[in-house]
Amino acid sequence: MHRALLPGLASMILLASPATAADAPPGASSCTGCHAPKKVADSVIPRIAGRKTEDIVTFMREYRSGAWPSSVMGRIAKGFDDAQTEAIAAWFAAQPE
Amino acid sequence: MATRRHFLKITAAAGLAPAVVSAQRKARVVVIGGGFGGATAARTVKVLQPALDVTLVEPNPVYTSCPFSNSVLANLREIDQQQFRYDGIKSAGVTVAETRATVVDPEAKTVTLADGNKLSYDRLIMSPGIDFNWNAIPGYDEAASEKMPHAWKAGAQTVLLRRQLQAMDDGGLVVLSAPANPFRCPPGPYERASLIAYWLKVWKPKSKLLLLDSKDAFSKQRLFQNGWAELYPGTIEWVPLSQGGKVISVDPTTLTLTTEFGAHKATVANVIPPQKAGAIAAQAGVADRTGWCPVEPVAFESTLRPNIHVLGDAAIMGGMPKSAFAANAQAKVCAAAIVKLLAGDKPQDPILINTCYSLVAADYGISIAGVYRPDKGQLIDIPGAGGTSPLVAVGGLRGQEALYASSWFRTLTAETFG
Repeated sequence: MHRALLPGLASMILLASPATAADAPPGASSCTGCHAPKKVADSVIPRIAGRKTEDIVTFMREYRSGAWPSSVMGRIAKGFDDAQTEAIAAWFAAQPE
Repeated sequence: MATRRHFLKITAAAGLAPAVVSAQRKARVVVIGGGFGGATAARTVKVLQPALDVTLVEPNPVYTSCPFSNSVLANLREIDQQQFRYDGIKSAGVTVAETRATVVDPEAKTVTLADGNKLSYDRLIMSPGIDFNWNAIPGYDEAASEKMPHAWKAGAQTVLLRRQLQAMDDGGLVVLSAPANPFRCPPGPYERASLIAYWLKVWKPKSKLLLLDSKDAFSKQRLFQNGWAELYPGTIEWVPLSQGGKVISVDPTTLTLTTEFGAHKATVANVIPPQKAGAIAAQAGVADRTGWCPVEPVAFESTLRPNIHVLGDAAIMGGMPKSAFAANAQAKVCAAAIVKLLAGDKPQDPILINTCYSLVAADYGISIAGVYRPDKGQLIDIPGAGGTSPLVAVGGLRGQEALYASSWFRTLTAETFG
């Protein structure tokens, strides 16, 4: 009985524990080249770590459609579909601000 | 337990044992080259998996950034603002070997260093940048670069070219020679021409710049040419390949550049020569006949030598250009993939972004971006994404992009060097 329970428990713990940084969704690691993960002096580029998932998703969707004007983000947002965008947004939302 | 031991025995016998699990020692990652690719890779591997033993091999205690070095030529920045040390990398727990890698032995999985030490690796990351094909342009060798600087590795060469520009009499002719593709920083020669023209306009307004090109098209071409017409009319003359732009020889004693169509005597000559992957890549056997390094598009492992990953300017990255931002993005993907591989897991298919800014003037920026994913063994441009700034700028866009360029530099260098 106990033996049967253990593997189930272990996998639940694995699922519940936060993904490691090596598991960041595809595309996420490129964002921090411009959007500093920590505060960098004198950057006019907004930070995205710790922002709400739905805010990031909304911005990306509006950049992609052109509804919200942008310089470079419209061109970048077009490279990601809704599911990919959502995964990246959730990842940054979970990072410390 | 018996089952697990049995499993380990089988995988070890097959040479598949995850190094972190099976070995009594820490798995070792060695990184050659402390530029945007190598420095980022070393630190990211260590941050993602502190249990790994990470060594960065880099002979120079100070790194001088090529991005924004054209602004040094135009007196908009000083060279020390381009310089970064490895303290941030060291404090992240990376061992920095301040020496040169002389021999990579892919069979023994070792790197011999100029100081006599030898490092063993489980995974080797090579980010050796570029070297020049000296004498590919007859007459242009390393000695000639002291008279006709390339300034395509930032540092003393950048300072030399700036000094020559400042010493030039007004009315002089600056001749810049740009190579055929592929080469480090595709928009770089055109940003350089722009910022030299910006500086000439203020300080030496009777001078001209002749840009001799070994190709008929270049990165952000219409944006640059529109900017030149608007800001520097009559100052920059671009001569494409089809109109005799290819330099076929130089004479450093007379500062003469000869093309198929004639000879040009320069007051200041800047020769950006043809390039190849940094020399250690050929020694390691990861460079092919083109001089560059083919890699697979998920972990950037060499297709010629297993367990060696190649990043940045040295690698053939499909649609992705040779840029500092690209090297930094590739390094983060490679680091995550190596952590997975050493744990016996399969790395996920990545998506990468490149964003590059160029300055046409101090307050006039333009950009190019791309989004990339693996497809049939290569990194390809995701269709419909990416591209350049619009040809018609509204709402102060060029000024805004010049500001973004400065922020881009600060963030990218902070992420790379800490």
